[in-house]
Amino acid sequence: MSVLQTWLVQALFIFLITGSIGVLLDPCGRINPESPVVQLGSNFTAVCVLKERCMDYFHVNANFIVWKMGHFTIPKEQYTIINRTAASVTLTDVTSLNIQLTCNILTFGQIEQNVYGITLISGLPPEKPKNLNCIVNEGKKMMCYWDPGRETYLETNFTLKSEWATEKFADCKTKRDTPTSCTVDYSPVYFVNMEVWVEAANALGKVTSDHINFDPVDKVKPNTPRNLSVSNSEELSSILKLTWINSNIKNVIRLKYDIQYRTKGASTWSQIPPEDTASTRSSFTVQDLKPFTEYVFRIRCMKEDGKGFWSDWSEEASGITYEDRPSNTPSFWYKIDPSHSHGHRSVQLMWKTLPPFEANGKILGYEVTLTRWKSRLQNYTVNDTKLTVNLTNDRYIVTLTARNAVGRSDASVLTIPACDFQATHPVMDLKAFPKDNMLWVEWTTPSKSPNKYILEWCVLSDKSPCIPDWQQEDGTVHHTYIRGYLAESKCYLITVTPVYADGPGSPVSIKAYLKQAPPSKGPTVRTKKVGKNEAVLEWDQLPVDVQNGFIRNYTIFYRTNIGNETAVNVDSSHTEYTLSSLTSDTLYMVRMAAYTDEGGKDGPEFTFTTPKFGEIEAIVVCLLSIPIDNSSGVLFCFNKNRDYSLFITCSSFLFRIKKHIWPNVPDPSKSHIAQWSPHTPPRHNFNPKDQMYSDGNFTDVSVVEIEANDKKSFPEDLKSLELFKKEKVSTEGHSSGIGGSSCMSSSRPSISSSDENESAQNTSSTVQYSTVVHSGYRHQVPSVQVFSRSESTQPLLDSEERPEDLQLVDNVDGGDGILPRQQYFKQNCSQQETSPDISHFERSNQVSSVNEEDFVRLKQQISGIPQSCGSGQMKMFQEVSAADAFGPDTEGQGERFKTAGMEAVLDEGMPKSYLPQTVRQGGYMPQ
Amino acid sequence: MDLRAGDSWGMLACLCTVLWHLPAVPALNRTGDPGPGPSIQKTYDLTRYLEHQLRSLAGTYLNYLGPPFNEPDFNPPRLGADTLPRATVNLEVWRSLNDKLRLTQNYEAYSHLLCYLRGLNRQAATAELRHSLAHFCTSLQGLLGSIAGVMATLGYPLPQPLPGTEPTWTPGPAHSDFLQKMDDFWLLKELQTWLWRSAKDFNRLKKKMQPPAAAVTLHLEAHGF
Repeated sequence: MSVLQTWLVQALFIFLITGSIGVLLDPCGRINPESPVVQLGSNFTAVCVLKERCMDYFHVNANFIVWKMGHFTIPKEQYTIINRTAASVTLTDVTSLNIQLTCNILTFGQIEQNVYGITLISGLPPEKPKNLNCIVNEGKKMMCYWDPGRETYLETNFTLKSEWATEKFADCKTKRDTPTSCTVDYSPVYFVNMEVWVEAANALGKVTSDHINFDPVDKVKPNTPRNLSVSNSEELSSILKLTWINSNIKNVIRLKYDIQYRTKGASTWSQIPPEDTASTRSSFTVQDLKPFTEYVFRIRCMKEDGKGFWSDWSEEASGITYEDRPSNTPSFWYKIDPSHSHGHRSVQLMWKTLPPFEANGKILGYEVTLTRWKSRLQNYTVNDTKLTVNLTNDRYIVTLTARNAVGRSDASVLTIPACDFQATHPVMDLKAFPKDNMLWVEWTTPSKSPNKYILEWCVLSDKSPCIPDWQQEDGTVHHTYIRGYLAESKCYLITVTPVYADGPGSPVSIKAYLKQAPPSKGPTVRTKKVGKNEAVLEWDQLPVDVQNGFIRNYTIFYRTNIGNETAVNVDSSHTEYTLSSLTSDTLYMVRMAAYTDEGGKDGPEFTFTTPKFGEIEAIVVCLLSIPIDNSSGVLFCFNKNRDYSLFITCSSFLFRIKKHIWPNVPDPSKSHIAQWSPHTPPRHNFNPKDQMYSDGNFTDVSVVEIEANDKKSFPEDLKSLELFKKEKVSTEGHSSGIGGSSCMSSSRPSISSSDENESAQNTSSTVQYSTVVHSGYRHQVPSVQVFSRSESTQPLLDSEERPEDLQLVDNVDGGDGILPRQQYFKQNCSQQETSPDISHFERSNQVSSVNEEDFVRLKQQISGIPQSCGSGQMKMFQEVSAADAFGPDTEGQGERFKTAGMEAVLDEGMPKSYLPQTVRQGGYMPQ
Repeated sequence: MDLRAGDSWGMLACLCTVLWHLPAVPALNRTGDPGPGPSIQKTYDLTRYLEHQLRSLAGTYLNYLGPPFNEPDFNPPRLGADTLPRATVNLEVWRSLNDKLRLTQNYEAYSHLLCYLRGLNRQAATAELRHSLAHFCTSLQGLLGSIAGVMATLGYPLPQPLPGTEPTWTPGPAHSDFLQKMDDFWLLKELQTWLWRSAKDFNRLKKKMQPPAAAVTLHLEAHGF
């Protein structure tokens, strides 16, 4: 606006001046050139010539000329005074596209008066157009297109020129909005070569593209073949015939085709080999198609020699190939109803519908034949995919065929063995693992090659029964994936049964997860027994429904009110653990976390208080009172310092006395020391009363005395302890069970310890990674299982590497043979592998987190299937169902509740905590 | 009548223009010298293409003329169309033609026919028909150029128009509208015959010009097919 205003004012001024001199619109001078166009980056010189009249009137000459670019005054250095009337200005390296250049004179009083103005336009000359090409859409005029090159910033005209040798055609001028193409005004004549080129021109120059010479027929884009239709053949189910109508251009040129097809719903096209469609035609038979399948086709064409352009694709047309007989036999399997009556069994035959690519048509029904040894055939025609038949205990051969409109499939043959049939030859090395969001199963082929395999699977749950789904695999297959919907965090029991000509082989099962997750609930820990310096913790295996994965290990966290939390890792096979080196008369809080491969989950916190006096102290009191009242079977032990009394029978006392005086010291030669807590007090500090968890107010003198007297081998123990500490100080950290944990570090309470000697046995046998001589006598145990949470992850060193340590330990406890423990370790050593398996699967016939008893039971079930008449595979799944085999069984749960109930009673009698009780099963929750 | 007189002048002018332009034909062979083979083949293709074009054009034009000209069995005697170059010729004579004569006859015939055709174009009523005729004329001119190109390649001079043999479409005053239509009919018919003949001519030339090696190759290919 301001520019416009300036111009208007100047124009008015000039008008007034010129008016005053009597000449309308006669400027005081002129600029030459008048309307220049210059190339960007070049120099430009303009000359302003003043008129004499004006010079006289204003008393000025060329020296008074001032050049301005817009409002900007151009420095005098760029001016050249040519003579009295003329001065020039030179602009170097013009970069603006549009410059307003004015010539002004400086009149009396330094007043600038405009003389003349020009607009300087700059840009670039056109570049030579490149990549000129033409296309002749059939029946339309020819269109040529090119690459115009760089931006010129100027109005640039493109002209397409064309000619024959004998004649020039009219120029084709581009429209402003499409400067890169032009459609000529005439229909091109085929078979006559023409020459075409483009001229690009603007104010700065004119340039011509390379000439192209071509026959327009070689630039043709034919019209699309139309009315594409597809028809099938009853004689051949693998072909479809396509017909179409060619465009008129086929009268002039020969065509080739491009035919594509795909099955309906598929996304990628297949192509008919181009050499099969390299000549003009109006039909084509597509071969090697699948029967009874809908195919979609499309076609396009171009000049046979490949010159020119492909037509657009035709509209898609579809057709269905004719049916063929089913190309495969249905998957075929059976279940025997476990509830069998005498001499007969109810067998459910079941099969899978064929997938469309094998059914090759609409399946109209199935035909089943049953043959018993030396008896005639029984035929059934079934529409469903199952059939229940009542069979005798003899061997049967069953065949199944699927039927469609064209024919029958081959027969699928299954042998239902007689009752007394002994299944053998199971698959070996069964593994199951998730991969690419699928659950894969692989196995090693049995020595006898099977006809096929049957895979069955179901979700293990306490809430719902195991309803198996199944699939069939060819006898040559040894790995496959479960084809069926699988949920994450669910435990699947997968059973693989090889099927031989004479009947099914032994099934083998495995548990697997498609994807593990941390448990949805943590284990509820409670005390089984609380001593002055130790506490036996126990818990139940997590129900399979909350496990969400394989429980790899537990971590027990415990702390006093004021102390740091200590973490202990426990193998997942355990359900008990003894915390030792506790401080008496102290409140402890303990909780437990269970870990799968994907993470862990804490259970509720439980609190308990260690008593002030140990049992022996009480016994001492009792024994002291015997002479006073030895006729009575019951002793009254009264402690003045506490508010409770203990009622104990003497007989039980005597037994306990024996145990405490001659304790069941574990055999150190069969033990490992896995890890030492850094908090373990050093030897010179060793004192049961002076442990880290002890509180300063502890003043029970009698305890010290009795323990000191009882402990004959105390100094030796300390010695060995010291040695172990020296050797093992570097192994601190999590006891993850990796490495040296092997068979010796794992324990099996269910096998090794009887119920009676649980006290000492369990204390030692539930110690997981170090069975430890020092635990022989409970108070001196420097909490060998105690680990702090975030310490070194350095692998556990195997104590087998240090036989001298063991030797030493042996010497220490040499005379004290505790046979059950040895036996127990021997049993464990016979296990193939006891360290937890890191992979995503667990073999069911390998003890892992599974309760051993359950495992044994499962094994019996599996191997027992064929023997028991009338209880086939079905029975196995029923019995295995509801996590009976792998999870804590319902029976076990019942027991657990019972135990919990008993404990609750006990708790009432022997308060362990001062806090309100909120948790069932004897647990306490701090409020 | 004035109009007709004007027409014949126009045709004369047209012929002159055509013949004037054609001597500049060497330019046809701008892409080097691959021999006459390709251009003969192209000319042959062009005659077939023109034949195809004419088929639809004649149908439209005869319908435009109306009955009886558009009746399939209409076969009038050739009256008053003597000035049109005759395509029909004795087989023996045709066989005995040398290449130069054969090409010259074609060239001269299409030169004349093109001029007559342009006269036809001016009379056509509908835009579509005019457009078809215009395109056909352009194509026919392309054919003339092609023949000229072949002749140039073979080193034959183009026939010069002799003043005495100018094709003059001078129907005379007796020409009625019907006879005029008859002339149009014969023009199209003669064009068709010429295109057939040309196809034969160029096919013959093509075979003659084909190098023997190429023939062997072709034979092998055919065998392999």
